Amino acid sequence: MLHDYLTAHKKHFADHTELRAQVNTSKRVVLLAGNMVGNTQSQKSGISARMYRGGVYGFASGAEYSPDSVKNVLKAAAENVRFMDDNIRRGEPPLPKIKDAPGKVGLKKPIFDDIPQSVLIDYAKNLDAFIAKKYRNLSSRTVLADTLYMEKLLTVSDGADSHSFQPRAMVYVWLTTETSDGVPVELFKGFSHVGRFDEYFCDHAALESELDKLYENLMEKRDGVYANAGLKKCVLHPDLAGMLSHEAVGHTVEADLVLGGSVAAHNLGKQVASEKISMTDFAHTAFGKTCPLPVYVDDEGTPAEDAVLIENGYLRGFMHSRETARHFGVSPQGNARAFEFSDEPLIRMRNTVIHPGTDKFDDMIASVDDGYFLVKTGNGQADSTGEFMFSVDLGYEIKNGKLGKAIRETTISGVAFEMLKTVDMVSDDLAWEISGFCGKKQSMTTSMGGPALRCEMNIGGR
Amino acid sequence: MKTTSFVEIAQYALGALKKSGADKSSCIAKKTIRDEFNVEANAFTLMRTTFDNSLVLTAIVGGRRGVTAINKHDKASIDEAADACVALAKSSEPDDAFDIAELVENKVFIKPEITKDRDGLFARIREYLGQVRDEFPKIIIEGFSSTLTDAEEAYVNSNGVIFESRYDAYGFHSMFVAKDGEKGTSFNYDGASFLKPSTPFLDSGMHRTLLEEAVKSLDTRMVDEKFTGKVIVTPACTDMLWGTITDNFLGDRALIEGTSRWKDALGTQVADKKLTFRAAPLNEPHIITGSRWTNDGYITRDVDFIKDGVLKSFALGLYGAKKTGKPRADTSTYHCEVLPGDIALAEIIKSTERGILLNRFSGGSPGASGDISGVAKNSFLIENGAVTDALQETMISFNILDALKNISAISRERVTNGTTHLPWVCLDGITVSGK
Repeated sequence: MLHDYLTAHKKHFADHTELRAQVNTSKRVVLLAGNMVGNTQSQKSGISARMYRGGVYGFASGAEYSPDSVKNVLKAAAENVRFMDDNIRRGEPPLPKIKDAPGKVGLKKPIFDDIPQSVLIDYAKNLDAFIAKKYRNLSSRTVLADTLYMEKLLTVSDGADSHSFQPRAMVYVWLTTETSDGVPVELFKGFSHVGRFDEYFCDHAALESELDKLYENLMEKRDGVYANAGLKKCVLHPDLAGMLSHEAVGHTVEADLVLGGSVAAHNLGKQVASEKISMTDFAHTAFGKTCPLPVYVDDEGTPAEDAVLIENGYLRGFMHSRETARHFGVSPQGNARAFEFSDEPLIRMRNTVIHPGTDKFDDMIASVDDGYFLVKTGNGQADSTGEFMFSVDLGYEIKNGKLGKAIRETTISGVAFEMLKTVDMVSDDLAWEISGFCGKKQSMTTSMGGPALRCEMNIGGR
Repeated sequence: MKTTSFVEIAQYALGALKKSGADKSSCIAKKTIRDEFNVEANAFTLMRTTFDNSLVLTAIVGGRRGVTAINKHDKASIDEAADACVALAKSSEPDDAFDIAELVENKVFIKPEITKDRDGLFARIREYLGQVRDEFPKIIIEGFSSTLTDAEEAYVNSNGVIFESRYDAYGFHSMFVAKDGEKGTSFNYDGASFLKPSTPFLDSGMHRTLLEEAVKSLDTRMVDEKFTGKVIVTPACTDMLWGTITDNFLGDRALIEGTSRWKDALGTQVADKKLTFRAAPLNEPHIITGSRWTNDGYITRDVDFIKDGVLKSFALGLYGAKKTGKPRADTSTYHCEVLPGDIALAEIIKSTERGILLNRFSGGSPGASGDISGVAKNSFLIENGAVTDALQETMISFNILDALKNISAISRERVTNGTTHLPWVCLDGITVSGK
């Protein structure tokens, strides 16, 4: 657990200052076709200081964490902010103070002892052996077990000091088979939880039903057909809707990207989606439950609140740092986060979801005469114009209201604010997805979610 | 050979690993000081300095392997990491393919001139922002960072291999859009690495062209039908072809799993004979960021993967080579080049009846089948031998293995960004579809 060498310096802060100590610890085991090709542990720890003066920041970080190293990092950050302010002379006033901030937000989750690597090794080996034994017709398989613990201690010149601990446990499985003419076909599934690895992954048989489904989907995909390219009526699985909320909409409403020319800049207050769409970046509690990745205070010392992005189809707000909140004349809501000790806080999403609607999923499928049910996405990207692209690793034809053949890998694309206007059915369920990382300059843990959506989508194919 | 403190740190770690019970071991010790300037929305926002250490330990015990990584160099932290590393190895599975490099030749790689010219770099950034403001008033630099990296590094292993390096390097990465009122373009990005900050950023690689094309992309056109045509892949669009080839068909994972569709193709024609694709980490001055040794402990070399269309080498590391029985590559796939063709880019465009000039590809990571589909970004339509309109929402789909056999031309011109050295490559038979 991090010792507090930071608070003692608070009384000396002249400019707006954030002083952060952080430890990221990860363990990883990888079995590739039964071979243990990865068996690693890593730990990155250190401190950073960031200071604001006249519209520019100075930042410094160091790998040592001791009373002396805190002084050295503060000194280096002060030199950098002086260099920038002297040379750039933007002349901006100091950042507004955070009003009514709590003194210090303590740990919401106790820091627990790390588990031995053998727990991951045993789990991965048993899971791999289980897959090898049960599922025939695989040409290869990969099992990855992974943990990431992130502990942060933050002292700020104003706002909330905090001590946080975020543990994440993940298992990923890739299955590969071949078509009759030898073409490899793959499918992947990630399982992720917030907590200690062995709280969730103690018995590999607990994943059996999900793995059965993954294998079944793979066999269907092996015999799949290529999608017909063009604009199609589609039902998006909740997992894919979650990716849509993050990539296609979420990034365009991050205020740093708004200032950088995002399409959202001209759409605040305007209708950007069907009235069935509402979307929020939740801080720590959504629909009465704790979010998968709760954030109580961000790395600028801002107490976290929900950021309402779209309400009944209208764009209501952006996500902010303290600096962009001042620019837009609003209050910051705790979106500035950093991944490693040596990273500066950037505007990041936390728990971003499209709200559930009232439609039944089965009715949504039954309502499509000729289209696609798009289930899994491997990755996705968004653009400042709102254009997005997702790879689709698993999908099915819908013919006359019934699911048909699986489709081979393809890509969907569109313009977020146009596509969202075509949404005419929203399912009454909600699925969270927390197994991935967002990559905006730095990596970051984020969670995303949504219901199933019926919409029109541009689909690639042959 | 005179050793640096980093060799001493690494050798201390080897001693700790041996004391903990390692049969074989290796260590990489590195210290990096980096200055970085950030720009957002055309304005300076931040300067940062990071002081970081890294130490990567590998232990093999009874044919079992463990790896630990920390960012500390003090003896207590190293001792603890060595114990953890050996414990990891003991809890692992034995595999005859785990090994470390044998001693061939120890070497010191020191950049002849260490300049650490932070003020020069800062001046280049100011110059760049001024040039963009004056020459491209519709461009918004959405996000920009420029770095000066000063690094010292050592690799040692228990077979007696010792490598040392010392270098400084400069670089920038710029993400930009064009904006005119409410009209805006897709973002694009570009960057380059340098030995010294002696060249204006705007003059590096394709940077000026990409900014010009961003402004031209304020007005776009939708392809309203599906057609099969040519796609000219520019040097700016690196990953779609070259990254996919190395990851999916040449690397350790694809060959160990047996999913590489080229697993039995060594010595056979896998691409049009115009194509020579190679790893070139030593190819200075075009490629200046190439690593001088591999993480396995071998001195890197330039390697032809595909020569005149024939598959000459895989990109296997030590483990992958031992596992598959195929030769090691001892190179860096990240630093690659494609040899030039014998035709000018202008001629390639002139001979294209209908196709696309592809600057950026936004698509899913292609699977082992080689099927690729995605959106053509920051790209232009070619009609009747001329580049015409910027494209909007246009998808392309093809199989990369088929496309490599269908290269209709490779340009005489090439572009370098310090990491790659690439020409324009024209692929035929690509499916293009609009909305």
